[in-house]
Amino acid sequence: MILPFLALALLALVTVYSAIVSFRRTEGVAPSWLFPNAAKRSAQIVVGILILAPLIALSIWLGFGARHESLRSSRFLIPDGYTGWIRIEFEVQGAPPLPVDHGEYTIKIPAEGVLRTSSAEQYGWARDRYYYYSGQSMRPLPDSGDSALIWGKLNGEASGTSGKQKYEEFFVGTADQFKNQPKVKGSPL
Amino acid sequence: MLPFCLYFVASVITGFHVYTLLALTVYGAPFNPLEFVSLLGSLLLLIAACISLFRPYAAARVALIACLLIWSFYAPATANLMRNGFHRHKIVSCNHEYGWDAIPSIDR
Repeated sequence: MILPFLALALLALVTVYSAIVSFRRTEGVAPSWLFPNAAKRSAQIVVGILILAPLIALSIWLGFGARHESLRSSRFLIPDGYTGWIRIEFEVQGAPPLPVDHGEYTIKIPAEGVLRTSSAEQYGWARDRYYYYSGQSMRPLPDSGDSALIWGKLNGEASGTSGKQKYEEFFVGTADQFKNQPKVKGSPL
Repeated sequence: MLPFCLYFVASVITGFHVYTLLALTVYGAPFNPLEFVSLLGSLLLLIAACISLFRPYAAARVALIACLLIWSFYAPATANLMRNGFHRHKIVSCNHEYGWDAIPSIDR
């Protein structure tokens, strides 16, 4: 909570300081600790190294990480006409893993709206896509904008008698259906 | 070294703060374009910090421009905070339909 106010205070201080330095007259004025001239050569080198070293390390780390950690996006196949909550439970022993098709997970939701898989849940940025399916035909579901049909996506971890259960849930339907759904305690399913 | 320290610390603090706000978009918060402008300003302030070691007066002008960019987010966000008061209820749901707002806010 203190971070926003610290940022604001520092920003105000830097704005005032930089404005004073930018517009003050410099002719015939001796440098002082408040308005110094260029730093010493040794200070320039030390600070340059201290700034460049973390930047280079960060670049290497990001480049290395991007090559070795590729987050797959998911393609959700939902039964045609389905309206309500969808739940995917991860790391369920004995359940089949999620199939990978053209580099993305294919998550085919059964008619009851609950899918259990032994695959692990993925975290991070990914562009997921949603489709209604009927037999072999599929039609895309918008997940953003006024005509969105995907709402309230969330993930969580529930504790039970069989241990911890990681899950992901989202609602399929119009905005009105999502807003007017009956409020229930606990899981929406 | 004073200008360098000042610009550097302000750049890191404001940049980190706006980055944390931007990171919330992963959880469904709508993103505000001004946050990107502010993040760009923080980067420019970092550049000004480096320039200040060699040319303090040129760095001050760069820092001033950077500050204006950062204020483009903080000014409306602060005004919004003042208008709504400090006793606003905290949002606990990640569901933007029930709580997230698209207007600039510095304390989501």
